[in-house]
Amino acid sequence: MFARVVFVMLAFGASAVCFGQAVPRTPTGKPDLQGIWRVQSRAAYDLRSHVARHDMPAGQSVIEGDEIPYQPWAAEQQRKNFASRATEDPLNSCYMPGVPRIMYLEFPFQIFQTKDHVAITFEWSQIYRLIYTNGQPTMHEGIESWMGNSRGHWEGDVLVVQVTDHNDRTWLDAAGDFHSDQLKVTERYALRDANTIDYEVTIEDPKVFTRPWKISMPLHRQTDVTRLLEYQCQAEKEEQSGAFEPDTRTWYPAAPPAGNVAFNPRASARLPKPTVTGEIARLPDGKPDISGWYEPDAGGANYGLETRAQNFLTPASRGIVVDPKNGKLPYQRWARAEAIERALPYRGYDDPTAHCFIGGVPRSQYVPAPLHILQPPGYVVMLFERMSWRQIPLTPRPPLPDHVRLWQGDSAGRWDGDTLVVESRNFNGKAWLNEVGDVITHAQTVVETFTPVAPDRILYRATVTDPIAYTRPWTVEVPLNKKNDELLEVACHEDNGDLTHLKEIRDDYRATHKEQ
Amino acid sequence: MGHKKIAVAFAALLTAGAAAAHHSFSAEFDPEKPLKLTGKVTEMKWSNPHAWIYLDVTGTDGKVQNWACETNGANGLIRRGWRKEDLPAGTTLVVDGWQARNGSPTVNVGTVTFQDGKRLFAGSSNPTVPQQN
Repeated sequence: MFARVVFVMLAFGASAVCFGQAVPRTPTGKPDLQGIWRVQSRAAYDLRSHVARHDMPAGQSVIEGDEIPYQPWAAEQQRKNFASRATEDPLNSCYMPGVPRIMYLEFPFQIFQTKDHVAITFEWSQIYRLIYTNGQPTMHEGIESWMGNSRGHWEGDVLVVQVTDHNDRTWLDAAGDFHSDQLKVTERYALRDANTIDYEVTIEDPKVFTRPWKISMPLHRQTDVTRLLEYQCQAEKEEQSGAFEPDTRTWYPAAPPAGNVAFNPRASARLPKPTVTGEIARLPDGKPDISGWYEPDAGGANYGLETRAQNFLTPASRGIVVDPKNGKLPYQRWARAEAIERALPYRGYDDPTAHCFIGGVPRSQYVPAPLHILQPPGYVVMLFERMSWRQIPLTPRPPLPDHVRLWQGDSAGRWDGDTLVVESRNFNGKAWLNEVGDVITHAQTVVETFTPVAPDRILYRATVTDPIAYTRPWTVEVPLNKKNDELLEVACHEDNGDLTHLKEIRDDYRATHKEQ
Repeated sequence: MGHKKIAVAFAALLTAGAAAAHHSFSAEFDPEKPLKLTGKVTEMKWSNPHAWIYLDVTGTDGKVQNWACETNGANGLIRRGWRKEDLPAGTTLVVDGWQARNGSPTVNVGTVTFQDGKRLFAGSSNPTVPQQN
């Protein structure tokens, strides 16, 4: 019986109810906040009690005393913000909402806990927060960012998080409530019962307010969803406006072109087992501990998966294709032609990452930017500095319907000995494999392996099966090197100085190459 | 300007990894338009994946034009020890790079050098320029 209860607790993590205890707890006795959460309050629209407007449902105050203690100039500024909110609200530009606003948007988020961190992954634009709870001092101090720098600690059963280093470009709600770069946010997360967190925030900003003030609201566990999906705010916006154009050859549900040769799924080579040197760190359950900050050694893979020489401003590529043995991608004819076309200047605009959209899989793993791997119970979570995440459940979830297609796909993981094996499907086919335009379509499925080969190194391999763009499966291999560092924020779209220029080049080309 | 910090930056820079571009620079900049600019910093935008240094450059006609100089992202600079205070407005810099295809005063930075000849940071997205001082 006991074994069975333990099994249920392990299998269902945070949803397990501990007998005789008010709230679920982690093995170390901390309240277990893990799971998918969302507010029901209308704080996202206006923190104050407010009546309904066309763009705003009515809501009751979440502010202690229902008053924001603005300095007189700031109260005037807030009124101006409110009047111009349709154009001036940074969220309407898909800019990162900052803390605390991200916590009470009407999008779900998932909390993960490890011995060193609390991580929060948000459905909204796949942004995340990595909150250090182990007392480790900040490595990069005083770096202003949209989401700020979060450090946490437990005060009894309450998780207290201090957020500093905010920029002055976010709002607190859609009603124009605002702050300066002097903002200090203190959050308190108290688990009231298995399905409710009492969330309280103290807001201090001597430039804007006359005194500290507080908001509070419950966060509710989302018991009717199996996972977070994606809301890529800027990508959705640009698709709707036509600024980001669909590609009917790669996007779901494109059919294979008539000229394709038959796909040979059995052509894959058996790759040698990675050689392990040194002692691999292990978790209490005996599985490899692969957590930490990593930098991919991808040798220019973001500029070409095949070996290529340097070309003006495009760096050389070492070549990371290990199967086929010749290092060449086994393209279908149309896809090779498309890849060559995409390398032309006028197609630079079409690379989704030039728009700051997320990289997809496997590209997220080899772009020249670090990632942080976490191993909370039941998951492997990867946080990418270029602001996106992947969460890989280690227990099966019901599959997504075929038509639910995602940038990062839908992943499932398992340990095969000391190798983490991740299978992903349900891709949307919008991503490129790199800047020079190597092609991938929605038909892709990916099997990745993460093998710790040294105390400070993971050997990463990804085998891609995509019968629309390729004639056989292919595999890339990239070492991920562990270092002692912390992720910083990449607010790409918020400061994208290139896209207008790339669009001009594209538009000029179109104007001079008009179809007859 | 902390010279210690510069030394740290130089040391780090020798081992600097691949350029951290997020789109094809060869799409945006023109190999036929290499140039060298000397000017005063008006502003630096510590952004990602690319940062921007704005320079007031006096032309041969005596007119001042503000150039936007694109470099690697701020995070790379931060990890090499650079902070906003290290590049105040008014600092004179020499920038080598390539001009934008559209002819606007925009340049992709190869190297940035201080007046005394010290190299600032080889935060270059340009692989043709050696990444050391």
